[in-house]
Parts: sequence; structure tokens; C-alpha cells
Amino acid sequence: MADLTTKTDISRQWRSHGRTRRSTRTVRVTASALITAATVLAVLVVPPIVQLDEQAIDLALKLRPPSPAHPFGTDDVGRDLLLRCVYGLRVSLLVGLVAALVATVIGTAVGAAAAAFGGWTDRIVMRLVDTFSSVPHLLLGIFIVAMFRPGVWPVIVSVALTHWLSTARIVRSEVLSLRSRPFVDAAISGGASRWRVTARHLLPAVLPQAGLAAVLMVPHAMWHESALSFLGLGLPTHQASLGTLVQTARGSLLAGDWWPTLFPGLFLIVPTLAIAGLAGAWRERINPRRRSELML
Amino acid sequence: MLELDAVTAGYDRRAPVFRAASLTLAPGESVGLLGPSGCGKSTLARVAALLHRPDAGRVTVDGEPVRGWRHRAPRRLRTAIGVVFQQPRLSADPRLTLHDLIAEPLRATGRRTEAPERVAALAAATGLTGDLLTRRPHEVSDGQLQRACLARALVLRPRWLVCDEMTAMLDASTTAALVAAVEEYRAEHGAGLLAVGHDRVLLERWCDRTVEWAGCAEPGT
Amino acid sequence: MKPDTVKPDAATSDAVRPGAVAPVLSVRELSVRFRMRGGRHIAAVTGASFDLAAGECLALVGESGCGKSVLASALLGLLPGNAQTAGSAVIEGTGGTDAVDLLTASERTLARTVRGRRIGLIPQSPAAHLTPVRTIRAQLAETLRALDRTPRSALPAAVTAAADRAAFPTGLLDRYPHELSGGLAQRAATALALVGDAPLLLADEPTTGLDRDLVHRTADELRRHTDDGRALLTITHDLAAAERIADRVAVMYAGRIVELTDAAAFFGAPGPRHPYARGLLAALPERDFRPIPGLPPELGDLPTGCAFAPRCPRATDRCATAPDFADGVACHHAEEPARA
Repeated sequence: MADLTTKTDISRQWRSHGRTRRSTRTVRVTASALITAATVLAVLVVPPIVQLDEQAIDLALKLRPPSPAHPFGTDDVGRDLLLRCVYGLRVSLLVGLVAALVATVIGTAVGAAAAAFGGWTDRIVMRLVDTFSSVPHLLLGIFIVAMFRPGVWPVIVSVALTHWLSTARIVRSEVLSLRSRPFVDAAISGGASRWRVTARHLLPAVLPQAGLAAVLMVPHAMWHESALSFLGLGLPTHQASLGTLVQTARGSLLAGDWWPTLFPGLFLIVPTLAIAGLAGAWRERINPRRRSELML
Repeated sequence: MLELDAVTAGYDRRAPVFRAASLTLAPGESVGLLGPSGCGKSTLARVAALLHRPDAGRVTVDGEPVRGWRHRAPRRLRTAIGVVFQQPRLSADPRLTLHDLIAEPLRATGRRTEAPERVAALAAATGLTGDLLTRRPHEVSDGQLQRACLARALVLRPRWLVCDEMTAMLDASTTAALVAAVEEYRAEHGAGLLAVGHDRVLLERWCDRTVEWAGCAEPGT
Repeated sequence: MKPDTVKPDAATSDAVRPGAVAPVLSVRELSVRFRMRGGRHIAAVTGASFDLAAGECLALVGESGCGKSVLASALLGLLPGNAQTAGSAVIEGTGGTDAVDLLTASERTLARTVRGRRIGLIPQSPAAHLTPVRTIRAQLAETLRALDRTPRSALPAAVTAAADRAAFPTGLLDRYPHELSGGLAQRAATALALVGDAPLLLADEPTTGLDRDLVHRTADELRRHTDDGRALLTITHDLAAAERIADRVAVMYAGRIVELTDAAAFFGAPGPRHPYARGLLAALPERDFRPIPGLPPELGDLPTGCAFAPRCPRATDRCATAPDFADGVACHHAEEPARA
């Protein structure tokens, strides 16, 4: 009967058990990535190549609806809206990126320091964070920009100084939970200094979280910038930003001219959603439960 | 000598996990500390490894009384005691390869030039072969990771070794291999051993003598 | 001579002991592999076949990473998305229900008719398995309502009865999981697993990290549930616990079952027949306390021949071809079977 024994490499009928939910997720991630890439490409490539003046005024062409020559129409002094939207997105994205970066660096440093030192340092720093957080962000932001002349840098400072608080909280709690792990005990036993434990073992472990917070903060910062500009406190009105575009177009909306507000609005909503979508995919990647799923 | 004298420790001063624990290890001696789970023997192991500050009592390492714990303990004392924990997954920094994991104490103490030679020797002693050293913890099994954790504990040539339930998660063959690696090191360097665990058969086979938790410490409140 | 074939026909398979009733669980050529990046595959389980009858306990032993937990996950339908399976794992029908192949059943079938009802899971760490914010009584009641549709009026009595079955003290039903000792938490988790009156219990490393006393108590309790007529598949690396509880032992190495035999013969005389199993037993501190040299092979890079050959004291040229599983052992140089 030995010939009937099971052969080791008979061709097996393999069945997959992957769930279909995956494909919709892939579509979402791909769409987000494409839109984000298109956005970045547009703001980086279009202004230097096209060499058109987004400030060019043509009063004969004021408030024209979308047409082949001006796909997004023109504004109340005849400037091309497509070009102004791209330039506006450029400013908003720049403000968003720089502000998010600055806020993340401040937040990570403060959060990590509070957790690493502990004791009174931790208590004082975190009460300070609580105090700042109790003031509405926009109000605090307005207070900060009001101290300077309108421009890009006051807006960046305003956004950064109001957004590092949540990152500080995230980083602090992550570091605190890591600090009690046996691998930190092992590092101490191996002669590592407090500084080395923080720099080599704790900070690298929280960087994915901090990076995720930073990416999620970009859309938030863009909206914050737009809100300030819309209120007339952000950038000077002649400078195209998505906020100032909507702000200057408010009047014509009442006259039934929809395009000067709709397109800047879409330029704000679609890229920010795409960036948030990418951040969501990243969060899923660094989620330890999903990571452990792939382990044996 | 590694001496713990009337040590009381816990995570809340008002409710210590245990009181008045006393234990003395002669140089080169191996002692097994037997106790049920949750009795506080892991906390005692952390005190002995200078990783947990006791609420009361004295710890003396080779005649030198310990005044600070964790980062406040002098590096010289901290590195005189190697420590291996129960769960290799939690005791390994997930971003380091096994090679870097083992070499990390050398780097932290400014002796990185010794790393290639020491890591190779210890990998051989603990049975880590092939490309395992280039992998990260999530790419190896619990047993392989615990071998690396033992190698890390031995890399600074400690005079004392504290093993807290080192083999509780491991199969019989890996357990025997790790114990053999510890004993080989001790035979070569004359290091003392405190092995904490609940497996009587294992500790009695492994150690010169075993101590019952009940005879060494009083329960806390 | 015993038939040395593993065939789908259970009656002639040597995986079933002579005279045993129809198996509760019948696993045939079960294989699981994981798709990795770059088209690589990791063969976590390869060609596992065994039967498990009511009132019988099979212990699946092996070192960490040998594929035994993956096998358990496959039986519960809890494999991750990148897993592929082959073979079958049929659980018998009870009370007029049809037999179900656990590997092909839909998630809906598994959730509604299998988990809890036909397979009770006794988890590795009961503390993590129990909901921390609800009392044991609330969790038992919820499970009873979900699985048995117990009417609200009958719940208090049913909860007490369910606790009794697992020897959980009824006086402690109103405690939260963190207020229980490890042993009591294990009993609470067992009580939950027993609620659906499943014919098959699956215990995944039920004794890891427990004290020796507690290991014995847990093993004895699991044994009692088996003697009540359930089939028990326990997955463990703890040979002492396996010896205390199992009727039969299946040794896994590098994803394959290399030996499947009676527990009494395995732990007592004449001992295991596969060199790996002999080495594993010899490594116990109460025996030789000598490790098997070397490390297990990578599941993503298995040799074409016998996976144990590089570590095996008996390896010869014949071992370059993989041995077939025959007569309860997969080895070219197995110890002579006991002459009964």
C-alpha cells in the first residue's frame, strides 16, 4: 500500500481568502495618490513653465463664465481664474506644508521632552499645552496674525503655533507608553544614557506617528490659512490664495456668478481630501495589528 | 557578592508588592528563585538588575552599595549585570536588526570597535546562524529572538546575570539551548546567576541551589 | 498491519483509532501558505491530516514558528488576507446540520454556525480575551443570548449553570476580569467557550506562562471536558501539559506533521519514533536537558528533502528526498514501531 501514501508535492488547489474590501481601498488610495501628485505637479510645474501673469487685468473680460479660453472663467477685473486658482493653491499648499512641518517639529520636541524628563517638567509643559488648547484655534490664530503686517510668514507662524499642541500630546503619550517597555530596561542595563535611550529607541519609534500627524495637519493648516485670508487677516487681497479668492468673489456670488467661488472652493476641498486619504492609508500601514497579520 | 537586604518594592508606596526580601548570591553561584506568578519575583529581578528603585532596603553589588537606580545608577554597575526578560518581543527594539540589537550595548558604552568580533562570537554561542543577524525582530521566531536577547545581555561580559522567566515562552529544545549557552558563558567567565521562574523541574536542574519565594520575601499589602 | 495511508475515507485511515466513532473533525492534506512580496511563498502548513473523535484529545506540539498556530487559525477561518489554503477540514454535522468544510465555508457560515456553536475557542491569554469593562456575568449572559437565544427570564439560571460547567465559582460572577487570578480568568474564558455546547474545543497554548500548579489544574479541567464527550484539539509547546492531557500527540516540524501517535507510547515506552520528537523529549529538564543542535529551517525556503535532515543524527543520502507520512511517522530512519 506504500504507493498510496501521500506524495509531497502533488499539485495543490490553492484557495485565496482575501477579502474584496481590499479593492475599494486600493481605488481610494490610488485616487488620492493621483490627485495629490497632480496637485503637487501643477503648483510646481505650471507657474515656471506657463509664464503667464496671474495678475494680468483685462477689464473688457471681467466676470466671464467658463469658456474654452478661460476654463474657469474670469474674476471681477478679468483675471483668468484657472491660473489664479493654481497660484492660490501654490500659496496655500506652501503655507500648509511649512506650517505643518514647523508644528510637528515643535510638537515632537515638546512632547518627547515632557515624557522623557517626567515629573515637574512634564506637569508644567502639559498644563501649558492644556491652557493653549482651551483657546479656540482660529481665535488664537487671529490674535497672532493681528500682531504682524499681512503676509505669508505671519500666517505660517499663526498656523504653526496653534497646531503643535495635538502633536505634543500624541508624542508624549506614545513615548510614555514606550518608556515602560522591557526594551528600554534592556537598553538601560546595557549602559545607555538617558539621551541615547530617547534618541535611539524612543524618538524613532514615535516618528511614524508624528509623521502621520504632520500629513494630517497639512489639510488642516490649508483650511486654517484659507479661513484667515477669508476673514481678511491672512494674505493681502491682491495675492492669490484660495482664501482670498473666495473672499473677493463673495460679492459676485450674490449676483448669481457662481464660478469665482466654486472653483477656488473645489481647489481647496479636493486636494485636502486626497492628502487626508493618503494619510489614512499610511495610518493603516503603520497600524501594528495589520503589521502583525503578515507575521507568522 | 550580589546582595539584596530587606528590600521592599512595588509600584505604589502605600501598597508594595513584597516586603523585606533578602537574597545573597556568592560570586559565580547560580541561584534559582521559585515563585508563583504574580508574587512579585519579576519586580525583585528588576531591583536586582538596578532597573527598579525599591521603596526600602539595600542592594550591594560586589561590596559597593547601590545608591541610584535606572539612569542614576553608575554605568559601571548597571553593565555589570546582564538581564534577560520573559517576552523577547517586548524586550527587543523592533527597528534594530538582530546584529544591531546585540551590538547596541557596545555602541552605548563607546566600544563599537569590538562589535564585529563580539557579535560573531555570541551569535555562534547562542546558535544564531545564517542571515538571521540581518533580520529584524518581526522576521524571526520567539526562540530566535530570545537567543539574540541573551547574546545582548552577555555582550558586555557582565559579572552577574539576571534571567526573569527567560524560557517561559519557549519550547523544550530552545530552553535547553539557551540554558546551555548561559552555562557555557558562566563556566568561562565565572559569572553569578539569578534565574527567576516558576518551573521547579527546570530551575532545580539548572541552578546550584533554589530558593522559595515564600522563604525569601513577605507578601505586600 | 495497519493501513499506512491517509485517505479521505476515515474508516481506513490510521489517523483514527480502531473502533472509534465517526470523527468530529476530519482534516485532510491541509496546507496553508502566505503570499509574500515578490511572488515568494511561505509554506506555513503542508499536508496536515488527522482525525479527532468525540471524547478524544489531540495535542499538537512543536516549537514556535512551526506552523501550529497557523493551523489553528485556518480551522477558525481567521487567516489574514494574504493566506491561501488547500485540502479540507470537515467538521461533522450535529443535530440535523450538515457537515461543513472549514476551509471553504463563507465567513457568514463560520460566524453564524461554526464559531462558538461547533468550535469553542479557549484562548491563549484569557485576560486579553475577556472584555475588561464588563463583569463575567454580563459576558456569559451576552454569549448565552447570542448563541442559545436564552430568554431573558431564564438567563440568571443559565449563567450559573454555564459557570458551574467550567468550575467558575458563582460567587465571583460579578467581578471584572482584572479582579480575577490567572486561573480563574482561564476558567471564565473556558465557561464562555463551553456556552455553545460545541462538539469541538480548540485550545491555543492554554498553559503558556502559567505556574506548574496552574498548568496541571487547567490541563485536568480540559481533560474533564474531553471526558464529557467533546473533542479537544490543544496546541502547545509545553510537553508536560501535553503529556497530562492528550490521548494522542501530533508533532509538527517546519509545517508538517512528522509524527502522530498515542500519547502513552510517545511519552512512555517505547517513546517517539521520529528523531525530532525524540530530540524534543530529550531536551526536557527532567530528561537529558540537551538541545537539538541547529535551528529549524525557514518556512519560506524549505529544503526539497526532509526538513529535519540538517539537524538529524541519523540523516543519510536517502533524506534528500522528503519522506512520506506513513504508519504515523514521516521519516526514512524512524525507530521501529512497537510490536504490540
